[in-house]
Amino acid sequence: MLNALWIVLLGMAIIFAVLGILLLVMILLSKLLKPREKQEKKG
Amino acid sequence: MDLATGEFLGFLNLSWQAVAMLVIGGVLMWLGIAKKVEPVLLVPIGFGCMLANIPLGGAAEAGGFLAVLREAGIHTEIFPLLIFIGIGAMIDFEPFLQRPYTIFLGAAAQFGIFGTFFLAYLLGDGWLHVLDFSLKDAASIGIIGSADGPTSIYVATILQSKYTAAIVVAAYSYMAMVPIIQPPIIKAMCSKEERALKMPSVAGTISQRTKILFPIITVLVVGLVAPKATPLIGCLMFGNLLRACGVVERLSLAAQNELANIVTILLGITVGGMMSGTEFLRPETILVFMLGIVAFSLNTVAGVLLGKLMSVLSGRKINPMIGACGISAFPMSSRVVQKLGLEANPYNHLLMHAAGANVAGQIASVVAGGVMLMLVPMFI
Repeated sequence: MLNALWIVLLGMAIIFAVLGILLLVMILLSKLLKPREKQEKKG
Repeated sequence: MDLATGEFLGFLNLSWQAVAMLVIGGVLMWLGIAKKVEPVLLVPIGFGCMLANIPLGGAAEAGGFLAVLREAGIHTEIFPLLIFIGIGAMIDFEPFLQRPYTIFLGAAAQFGIFGTFFLAYLLGDGWLHVLDFSLKDAASIGIIGSADGPTSIYVATILQSKYTAAIVVAAYSYMAMVPIIQPPIIKAMCSKEERALKMPSVAGTISQRTKILFPIITVLVVGLVAPKATPLIGCLMFGNLLRACGVVERLSLAAQNELANIVTILLGITVGGMMSGTEFLRPETILVFMLGIVAFSLNTVAGVLLGKLMSVLSGRKINPMIGACGISAFPMSSRVVQKLGLEANPYNHLLMHAAGANVAGQIASVVAGGVMLMLVPMFI
């Protein structure tokens, strides 16, 4: 039973961690891309 | 001539299990055709069920065409992966990319998978021993909560659950029942004022470059952290890249139409072919179906709870109901939330906000499947 509890806790923690990292990467990417896209529009 | 009529007349070999399964197959086809409940899936599943249970027909026995399809498409996990290419090509991730915070609603709504897994394991080998549920079976039953047929098939097959057929049928049929399961839970958890809460529209569109990079980055991040999810997320995002890149429209359309349709036909009839009476008709099957409802309900509760928290933290700029869309049943749960929002306030259009959480749930459910595949073998 303790094994199952560990799977529940670890499982939810990993899901939030993976998706949190994905969110951070996407935010970082949008910050990096925005200036370049603005420049492209000006050009 | 000594005719052993029992050896070639099917009706002389009808068992009560076969009769019951023929009725179940008929009900599935009736639901699909007469009631329009997920007809694309229930019609082939119902027909496959009928074929598999005709005595002496041999369609689902070793060497029969349904058994060959099962071996080639389900046991190799090819069918669910090919379906995912089609699904990826069909999904527009723009509503999610405009509201990236919804990814956490998707994450929270996967609690149903793990909560149901825990419950199933307690009923089985974990504590009460009243049912024949091993750790692998419990994990496969929990994955019904992914509200995602291909993920359910993929996980249950890899974990070699005894209840794969029941799990797959439950996963697909409950997706169609989202408009029945979710509204009472949402109404019980959200007051009318909360349901009437309007959300500000999102300004601007997502650039083509972001849309192209999103599937690639998602595969890299998810694959590197939870590698067991790589085949599922890889196929989903490959389909999406075909759509987003804009230079292979022919392939994108083929993935959305021909590929998805052909594999749906094969998958549906094969899943139906897995529903043989002797394997399907046991008390555990009924429990699997009941636990499926628990999984969908827990998903909704967890999503709405995080939605409420985010609503408070955002100064009431987020309608907590969109948390229910973290369940990946796309687009059914988005439509449910849109309808409930309009009922509470005729000017409250939540569809695009809900769709953001809904496609985030699609990604989260695939990650959850991969995480389950990663953790279960570690604890056996």
